[in-house]
Amino acid sequence: MPGKTLYFLLFALYAAAVAGYAVHAVRRHSWLNRAALALVSGGVLLHTGLLVQRWLLAGYLPVTNLFATLFFFSWALALTFLYFELRYRLGATGLFVMLLNLLLLGSALPRDTKVPALIPVLDTPLFELHIIFSFTGYAMFAMAFALGVLYLVQARLATAALPELSLLRRLNEEAIFLGFGLFTLCMVAGGIWAHIAWGYWFSWNIKSVWSFLVWLFYAGMCHAKFVRRWHGGVYAWLSITGFGVVLFTYLGIGLLLESNHPLE
Amino acid sequence: MTDDRTLLQRLWNLGCSLKLAIYVASLATLLIMGGSLVMPAHPEIFGGMDAAPIGEWFAGAWARAPQLLWWLPLTALCLVIFGLNTLCCLVDWLIHLKARWRKAGEYLIHSGFLLLLVGYLWGNLAGFRSGPHRLAAGETLQLPTTQYALRLERFAPDFSAEGRPLDLVNEVALLHAGQEVARGTVRFNHPLLHDGLVILATSLDQRLTGFRCFLPGIGMVDLAPGSRVALPDGHTLGVLNLLADARQTGDGRVIPVGERLGNPAMQLLLLRPDGSSWQGWYFLREAPPLPLATTGAAPQPLQPLAGYVSLLTVNRDPGAGLALAGGGCLTVGVLFAMLSFYRKRARGDRPQV
Repeated sequence: MPGKTLYFLLFALYAAAVAGYAVHAVRRHSWLNRAALALVSGGVLLHTGLLVQRWLLAGYLPVTNLFATLFFFSWALALTFLYFELRYRLGATGLFVMLLNLLLLGSALPRDTKVPALIPVLDTPLFELHIIFSFTGYAMFAMAFALGVLYLVQARLATAALPELSLLRRLNEEAIFLGFGLFTLCMVAGGIWAHIAWGYWFSWNIKSVWSFLVWLFYAGMCHAKFVRRWHGGVYAWLSITGFGVVLFTYLGIGLLLESNHPLE
Repeated sequence: MTDDRTLLQRLWNLGCSLKLAIYVASLATLLIMGGSLVMPAHPEIFGGMDAAPIGEWFAGAWARAPQLLWWLPLTALCLVIFGLNTLCCLVDWLIHLKARWRKAGEYLIHSGFLLLLVGYLWGNLAGFRSGPHRLAAGETLQLPTTQYALRLERFAPDFSAEGRPLDLVNEVALLHAGQEVARGTVRFNHPLLHDGLVILATSLDQRLTGFRCFLPGIGMVDLAPGSRVALPDGHTLGVLNLLADARQTGDGRVIPVGERLGNPAMQLLLLRPDGSSWQGWYFLREAPPLPLATTGAAPQPLQPLAGYVSLLTVNRDPGAGLALAGGGCLTVGVLFAMLSFYRKRARGDRPQV
């Protein structure tokens, strides 16, 4: 396994992109936006390469410790941002989203990058499916969180640097819709795996319970978009709250409580 | 009649109400959030939630700590109302299918959720969870409330270089009324599935199989049930039984207390050269019985000998099939909904860029 040089290079690429978006927010030169997007794209390519390299070296998708899950989550969030940026040209929203991504990657980098051997309890394709859908879903929820925050900022500032409120809201809805879909697939894969591993498809361990809460919350969000009175700030606040539930499920339980869920 | 129809219509509208869904789901969310944070603080109450069907667990736990559990029946009520609401929405959609067929993906997700709810209820009402059961190779276990029995034919745990168990390989055969109906290798992530039964490798343990002893005139010898040792003076010592943890009752019987090594006792048979015999129990932590001591045939226990036993869990969930169907509906529904979303986008119904 190579040293951390490439990981720090990846961090530098994303940090440079954040700087680019920050300057673009002030100076509004389109080349800054394009440069920042190129840096993000380069970062995603490097990120994907590192992930694939780790996967090939390990023989399995390496997401069995906190470094690995943070690294994967960061990759998924960068990819999610790239999707929204290329489809909708969000411009300065990249500042906040990539800053979030930088936090994820930054909290991963101090940790050991070594890939541990796969233990037999995790040796099943259902584990990889469960993880992939879980973190791509989380990435969409993180994107929705960012869009919710930006909605509230735009509602206060009404700046030309950010997209219109209606666009921010509709993108928020899209992120939540896609995130809910991906997280549903995560729950299905997890339920099948739980039945095979434990003999029951729903467990009352705290991680499983809070994963169900995340699913229920975002199921509610998918319905909340039809309530006209909630189209504005309420929906944005719900997006922000939802990500709090996600963070507690992903990090809070592992750091603060005990669970028999694998990887805790 | 008009009043009845109006009342029914209002009830139906309430049943299909989006706001009802949001309020009930929100309430369930808050109840579960709060309750789930109580759970880790009381492992003595909540630790066994997965070891039994939820109703069975709840009945026992409620008797002990109702103040910690009131949120559970309320949550169940919310989820039942949510389920009924989902069912009404689904039926309403089916009634208006011609106009709303494009929402098929979303309503497959609704169907999937309903199937999961019903599957969970059915599985917990009609199923069971048992174990972990300690089985050594060659032993057979009668499964609860069924005519099934499980025979463990071979048990081979796989250890890492540091001695950690990596995998547990169990060759098992499932019998029904004495006839073999299924067999397979049970290990992590590879249960044996048959007729709603799920047989899983859970863990391993050690079981006392014998004792290494010193016999005067013989030297080191491993004694286990079935062992026979010919002593130099013409006596023969045989081991009839071995208990890892035993005690003597008031009427002199020796009974097992547990499976873990505690106060071990060996049932011995001493055959004398003159044809007489003595049979009795020797508690290995105490002085040998007089007949053994006087003949010099008392084995001096040096170390216990242990073999591995498998710990197997056997569950039955009649609702698992429904739940799997629900998972299938959810999966297909998600894919349809996403396809429909992108199709709408491609047709021009997309955010202004």
